[in-house]
Amino acid sequence: MRAPISRILRDRVHLGVVLSTIALVAFGAVMVWAATMTMAGHAGLVQRQFLGVGIGMIALAIMWVLDYQVLKAWTGPLMVALSLLILSPRIPGLGASVSGATSWLQIGSIRLFQPSEPAKLLFIVVMAAIIAEYGGRLEKTPDILKVIAFAAVPLVLILLQPDLGTGMVFVAIASGMLLVGGMKARWFAIFAVSGILLVVAVFGLNSVLVSALHKPDGVLIKAYQVDRLLVFVDPTRDPKGAGYNLQQSKIAIGSGGLTGAGLGMGTQSRLNFIPERHTDFIFSVIGEQLGFAGALMLLALYLALMSSALSVSASSRDLFGALVAAGLISMWGFQILENMGMTIGMMPITGIPLPFMSYGSSFMVTNLAGVGMLLSIWSRRYGTTTT
Amino acid sequence: MTTFRQLLKGRFAVLGVVVLVALGSLTARLWQMQVLSGSVFAAAAQGNSTREVSLPAARGRILDVKGRPLVTNRAVMAVTAPATISQDTTMVAHLSSVISVPVTEILARLASYKAERLAPRVLKVDVPMQTAAYLSEHSADFPGVTVEESAVRVYPGGSLAAHVLGYTGEISESQLASAAPLGAKVGDIVGKSGVEASYDNVLQGEKGFRRFEVDNMGHVRSVLAEGAPRAGQDIRLTIDKDVQAVTEQALADAVAEAHRQGFTKAKGGAAVVLDVKTGAVVAMASVPTYDPSLFLGGITQAEWDALNAKSSEYPLNNRAIQAAYPPASTFKGIVAAAGLETGLLTPGTIFNCPGYWTGLGKQWGKWCWLHSGHGNLSLIGAIEQSCDGYFYNVGKRFYESPGEKLQAFARTMGLGSVLGIDLAGEVPGRVPDAAWKKAYNQNYPEYQQWLPGDTVNMSIGQGDLLVTPLQLASAYAALANGGVVVRPHVLDAVLGPDGTASVVTSTSVVSNAHLSASTVATLRTALLGVTTVGTGKGSFAGFPIPVAGKTGTAQVAGKDDYAVFACYAPASSPKYAIVVIIEQGGHGGSVAAPAARQILAKLFGKKFKRIHTTDVSR
Repeated sequence: MRAPISRILRDRVHLGVVLSTIALVAFGAVMVWAATMTMAGHAGLVQRQFLGVGIGMIALAIMWVLDYQVLKAWTGPLMVALSLLILSPRIPGLGASVSGATSWLQIGSIRLFQPSEPAKLLFIVVMAAIIAEYGGRLEKTPDILKVIAFAAVPLVLILLQPDLGTGMVFVAIASGMLLVGGMKARWFAIFAVSGILLVVAVFGLNSVLVSALHKPDGVLIKAYQVDRLLVFVDPTRDPKGAGYNLQQSKIAIGSGGLTGAGLGMGTQSRLNFIPERHTDFIFSVIGEQLGFAGALMLLALYLALMSSALSVSASSRDLFGALVAAGLISMWGFQILENMGMTIGMMPITGIPLPFMSYGSSFMVTNLAGVGMLLSIWSRRYGTTTT
Repeated sequence: MTTFRQLLKGRFAVLGVVVLVALGSLTARLWQMQVLSGSVFAAAAQGNSTREVSLPAARGRILDVKGRPLVTNRAVMAVTAPATISQDTTMVAHLSSVISVPVTEILARLASYKAERLAPRVLKVDVPMQTAAYLSEHSADFPGVTVEESAVRVYPGGSLAAHVLGYTGEISESQLASAAPLGAKVGDIVGKSGVEASYDNVLQGEKGFRRFEVDNMGHVRSVLAEGAPRAGQDIRLTIDKDVQAVTEQALADAVAEAHRQGFTKAKGGAAVVLDVKTGAVVAMASVPTYDPSLFLGGITQAEWDALNAKSSEYPLNNRAIQAAYPPASTFKGIVAAAGLETGLLTPGTIFNCPGYWTGLGKQWGKWCWLHSGHGNLSLIGAIEQSCDGYFYNVGKRFYESPGEKLQAFARTMGLGSVLGIDLAGEVPGRVPDAAWKKAYNQNYPEYQQWLPGDTVNMSIGQGDLLVTPLQLASAYAALANGGVVVRPHVLDAVLGPDGTASVVTSTSVVSNAHLSASTVATLRTALLGVTTVGTGKGSFAGFPIPVAGKTGTAQVAGKDDYAVFACYAPASSPKYAIVVIIEQGGHGGSVAAPAARQILAKLFGKKFKRIHTTDVSR
């Protein structure tokens, strides 16, 4: 029996999620347009971004219609798919590497997408399925170690790519899901401490190997990654090199003042002072052109999306759905903090884009598919299934 | 399902708080950056994207007293290029052959830190028309290279009045430090000496500016604003171009005459022509001289070294104000006035000159230049004959009377300190006294005592007394002027844009010796006697204007005698005071005095007749 349209809408449409998503996508489209205005190939870039939104909307619809609980049953194949996605850029004939760490999946000369983006969603689903097994009581040491071992496989694979940025997103996602899954604070403390020790060890070993093997480009970690971290600690270091991006970004955002220079205006964006201004540094453009008011509006939209996601998570009919929603919140929350934070010198510079804002179709499709999963969880909160 | 939801409630709260903390800290940081310190970043953004270059202002011209140009400007074609072309070595090599400037010099000019960052570097100032045309036609081969109209100083008279006019050059670090608040920038062309330096602020004008918007690569995207330069003002000097030319010729002739008389070391000298009443410098010359156009577009190190070598006799020095000489017998006129004013002498005071003077005791005897002696002489006769013996006695009287009256009088006549002429580098000269001698010989106690001989030597213009040619001319003007020493000056007026005088130099008094009318008259009679019956008689034979003058022959240790002549004319109603000094030129009466005659002939429109005469006096 078919339910009336109004009831279907009430049951399946989470207004907070839908409206904040529409607003964010529109905001992002305008900003990509404004950021690329004085760039060569402006029209083509805007078109590609719209194509990404279009494909993303289809992905969103599919994920919405699809019963998310089905995914739980596919944990095994999804784990394999996740590993394949991560490794795919390394497969001869399929992969392509652009500017260091940005890896593409391509057939022939046609670029398809960046596999690290959908990998984030797959990682969320796989982790949710594993953690959900423990019914929210992830307390025993062997259980925790088992879950961590599962999470470690894709994490190690992505770090070996090397894709430090996505690796950090994976860690953030796992942390948020483990929190909701019931892991206790002392375990977080243990992992945090060992994580820090590991990083220090890797950096130390790297510098030893660099001087021993005479490889100035870096052995375990790339030289530019070390530079970025040093610049984060001391922004005045190397103002023409690694510190340049940060310096120019801060000047752009600070000069925006309360209301900004106006859309499409602002010398920092217009005259090429902001590098990567339509991708990783799009927030610098927002800050310069729309000022504190525009930045606050963006943060309000993110707050609306994530609080809506939290309400979806809280109303999920099962722990699996709640965990998936928590994973999405962690993914977005971390990427927002890291991306905006790096543009204002709060966080070290990594190649993490800003959700719904940065240019890039793989990224847009992934985020919109995530929204689709939220709506799927919401639609089925009373146990209703697809008609 | 309620159980797991209750279980999760606290965990959602933690997740929510984490999200809120993340967004909250971003908000706080953005508030701090954008709202609290937004203006700092806005200034940085403006600094990033705007560049300014200054537009040079045309330098004011320098005219003579009749408005004839002494220094003017000429439009030239200058080849300029941005610093970035240095990377294109083939183009630079090609350009080097086209404008005939060595590659190394082009690269050095491009790399000059002195220019503003965006300002094009000047590679060559004055290129011929066909070179400019070639560069324009082949501009595709020389990207960035432009041919611009520029202005350089032109000296219509060549080296005429070079020492008064001065030269221009790039601003020095010390000048920059003091003028930076007024908008001076590295690379500015400023006056370095002469009136170019002393009236630089008037001649300079105000620079314009052009503000560009640039991108991250420093490429100009648009012109944001422009301010037109304001041209510098013209100035009119007191110098008369014609008199100046004759004065310089007279100096050159005097040097040649000295050589003719066997004083072959004569090279340097100076001449000054003053307006007795106003202090206006009608002519001022110094030899050897230099060509101020050497400095255009930057003087080369070799040229600079040549101008400063010892063998060159320092042609950049303006000897008229920067050199101090013993005035020798020309000082006797001032000693006579001092004696009359202090009552130590009367016109009728008579001394006997036996040729060898022993007034301070036999062991301190001194010769008059005329070893046979002048016999009994009055004051007037002593000046006419330049008798040393007479003035030894006068010196002894000054020594014996308390209060260093001779020194005090010399100072009132403007000697011993700068007169304050509007040219840089004037030296004070020296009027020696007991205090000076003590300080000067502070490490030699046995020489600290002021002795009678010091005053006696001083009273014939020798000893430690030193005067500049300008001071001597000014003192002779004062003798003609009742003792009023007026400040000498070379600026007549600063001209407004329409050519009318906007600022005129007014006469100012340096000091006043308040000479009595009888002193002035006695001196006039005596000095006129010099040129009619005395030591200057030969030089002024047949000259139609009465000249009140005094010859001098200065003895300088280790050198040939310096020829000196000081005068004012016409003697009856004085108009000009003139001093001529030729270093190692021999005798004043036969070398310096004819030069003064040559100048006076020009001043009074009389025919010039070359004089060869002899003089053996001091």
